[in-house]
Amino acid sequence: MIRSALASFVITAVLLVVVVGIVLVPIAMQMPDPLAVLDMFVLGPFRNPRHTGNIIEMATPGMMCGLAVAIMLRAGMFNLGVEGAFFLGGLATVATVLLVPLPGWAMAPVGLAVGAVVGSSVCAVPGLLRARYDASELVSSLMLNFAALFIGLFIVNYFLRDPTAGAMVSYKIPNDARLPRLVAGTRIHLGTIIAVAGCLLGTVYLFMTRAGFESRIVGLNPAFAAHLGLPIRWILLRSQLIGGLIAAGAGGIEMLGLYQRFSWQGLPGNGWTGVVVAILARDNPILLIPAALFLSYLQVGGDLISRNFDVPSEAVGLIQALVLLVVTSSAIMRNPRLLRFITGRKAAANKTSGPKVAEGSAA
Amino acid sequence: MTNAPLVAFAGISKTYGNGTLALDDVSFSIAGGVIHAICGENGAGKSTLMKILFGLEQPSSGAVLLDGKAVAITSPRVAAGQGIGMVHQHFSLVPSLSVTENIVLGQEPRRGAFIDRAAARQRVVDLAQRYNLLVDPDAVVRTLSVAAQQKVEILKALSRDVRVLILDEPTAVLTPPETDELFERLRDLRAAGLTILFISHKLREVRALASHVTVLRAGRLVGDAPLDAIEDDAIARLVMGQAERPKLKRGGRVSGAATVTLADVSLAARDAADRLHDLDLAIHAGEILGVAGVDGSGQRGLVSVLTGRIQPSAGAIAYDGHSIAGLGTAALRQRGLAHLPADRFHDGGSKRMSLVENAIAGAHRLAAFSSGPFLKRRAMEARTVQMIERYNVRAPGPKAPLAALSGGNAQKLIAAREFATEPRFLIADQPTRGIDVAAAAFLHERLSELAEKGCAVLLITADLDELLALSDRIVVLYAGRIVARMENGPDLTPERLGPSMLGLESAA
Repeated sequence: MIRSALASFVITAVLLVVVVGIVLVPIAMQMPDPLAVLDMFVLGPFRNPRHTGNIIEMATPGMMCGLAVAIMLRAGMFNLGVEGAFFLGGLATVATVLLVPLPGWAMAPVGLAVGAVVGSSVCAVPGLLRARYDASELVSSLMLNFAALFIGLFIVNYFLRDPTAGAMVSYKIPNDARLPRLVAGTRIHLGTIIAVAGCLLGTVYLFMTRAGFESRIVGLNPAFAAHLGLPIRWILLRSQLIGGLIAAGAGGIEMLGLYQRFSWQGLPGNGWTGVVVAILARDNPILLIPAALFLSYLQVGGDLISRNFDVPSEAVGLIQALVLLVVTSSAIMRNPRLLRFITGRKAAANKTSGPKVAEGSAA
Repeated sequence: MTNAPLVAFAGISKTYGNGTLALDDVSFSIAGGVIHAICGENGAGKSTLMKILFGLEQPSSGAVLLDGKAVAITSPRVAAGQGIGMVHQHFSLVPSLSVTENIVLGQEPRRGAFIDRAAARQRVVDLAQRYNLLVDPDAVVRTLSVAAQQKVEILKALSRDVRVLILDEPTAVLTPPETDELFERLRDLRAAGLTILFISHKLREVRALASHVTVLRAGRLVGDAPLDAIEDDAIARLVMGQAERPKLKRGGRVSGAATVTLADVSLAARDAADRLHDLDLAIHAGEILGVAGVDGSGQRGLVSVLTGRIQPSAGAIAYDGHSIAGLGTAALRQRGLAHLPADRFHDGGSKRMSLVENAIAGAHRLAAFSSGPFLKRRAMEARTVQMIERYNVRAPGPKAPLAALSGGNAQKLIAAREFATEPRFLIADQPTRGIDVAAAAFLHERLSELAEKGCAVLLITADLDELLALSDRIVVLYAGRIVARMENGPDLTPERLGPSMLGLESAA
């Protein structure tokens, strides 16, 4: 199974290289030295340990958010609350270490735990609405992200804001709470190890535990789950709770690993990256690691050329947009439910399969 | 009859790509201006023949003659050009568009580059009034009842100036009053000069509506006569055929106490084919109770209430004398329920999961297959290998996906899973539909074996040979009611079941 997932992963990756080439080559051609631009994009990230470190730093939240999305997607849930959970998880972690008097050694673990629980609400509430009222988790989670953002900004402004900082940022995160750096000359931190371990544990969860097995049955064939009498609603909710905890924990780890202060003014976008990573990895937790690294590599290469050449940063945005397009279109084609959702034929499709399942799990 | 008939089939045969002979040298003709019924069991070739007339399928040999001239109907567009319209069993409407939009779709009146909505609406209103098929032209199709959607389908066909209207089992989705209304309208259409081809396996409806009947069985024409020249019983005999003597005959066995009882169970479902009315039934330990009936007579509803998927709207179901009201599938499975679902890949398993996962799912929480939160994958695999051997499942290996198995082998694996729980009550719903003879015989033996061990077996099947070979007692479902109960015995034949299955007599 991992082999077939790997094959489609490679196909998508090759497709991405072609797409990037289509955008990048014409841009490079307009520069005095086109080869230097390409060289900087392709090899630049590896010339300098700091830039290589950037890839890994950036891939860390990508892996964890990807894991959160993959676990929910495996149960058939398109919960986009990862973005809000990541944001709120980061904020709640910072708020805990700033406001709660804790001994130094306890700051990071307690902060992360609180952050994970608080932040996971952004995934849990749509999950509950889905389990209880059959509300589309996709729509409600998408909306709830913005509620999370503005509640978060309110809290930063009124409770955590450092008036001396001159911007809407929090007080400094105490040194004791920061996650240890691992490689000198880079900002690679303990979170990377947690993320890689998380992906391995995710594999164990999905393929070697009862709960993971049940969630895959529900995701692959709800009618079969109903035939077996599995508690479908609880299984759906459970996978969204787990996903929310992971995404929110990732936000806390990001804050304690890389930041001095809580300084996000908007949704940071790591959750969206996680969706792309998960789709690229075909929801396979092990493949999340190379998928996240690959996307970060494209990102770092793009940043490098826009910094070093007269390439507008919009060009980098264009590359990212195309990456998103390739990855999501392949996901949509693969996923009948998502396809129906996008083409707006949800109601008709539900008529044939939906009620049966709902009744089964209600009983 | 000096004129050539409106439609004539001349020696039509149809062989599908997989070698199935769906139609074998069928020839008959349809006179203009009548309602002509085509009868036959599921798989008799009725639908294939109509698809050929409507251009959806091409005959392997033979020709369709319209007004005496051979016409190659290569597509539905050609059929429409010849004045042939078809109302499918499953509607082909766009649910999110209005009635008007659906009807004019593809032939919209235009004003310049734009659709002339007023003219379109007027056209629909005129059409609806002319044929007395009243629907709100502005309603969104999704919001309409099934009967109203059917009217829209008929109007859509009529709007294309049809001479011949094909209706494929139009009453399957309707309630009796809706059926009556439909028949009134169809008579009006005939009076207006249309020729109607009415496909049905309900003889009462054929008798009420048509003036001529053609009977197909296993792809062959077995009867073609005006209705006033043929008795219902004769039609039933033609439809059912002279089946071979079943090989494994049970019947009349003494069985134990009632394991499952239904008292006055009714189900008010949205789909008429799922509704149940006042079912009284007991399934005893050690017996196989056969349920006969044409598809859509309430079998699906019966399975839903017995498996706890849907609560009945009235009446009580008990397992071992204890009411199961409010219990779901999981609780019932714990009380000894097992179920071979009719659609084995939709409900019976997950095509993309491995054989191991399909075989153990449901039992995965037992101590044999899990410790703490973890699955014992090795134990799961070992058990699956055992099942594969014992049930003679031909498979590439236990880790292959279920999709890699043929229908018969997949069904054997699912049966292995369901039977492994040593059930006290088994629902076998179309257990051998579409699978090879050897696999079917193997499953028949297993079912028999289970009953001998004291399991109460409910066998729902459209295959009358299977029903007569396995059942101890037989009940016949028709339109959600039990219309006949009989002991199985050597003198019980398909011909005797036929009339009650087709709703002609009710002996209950």
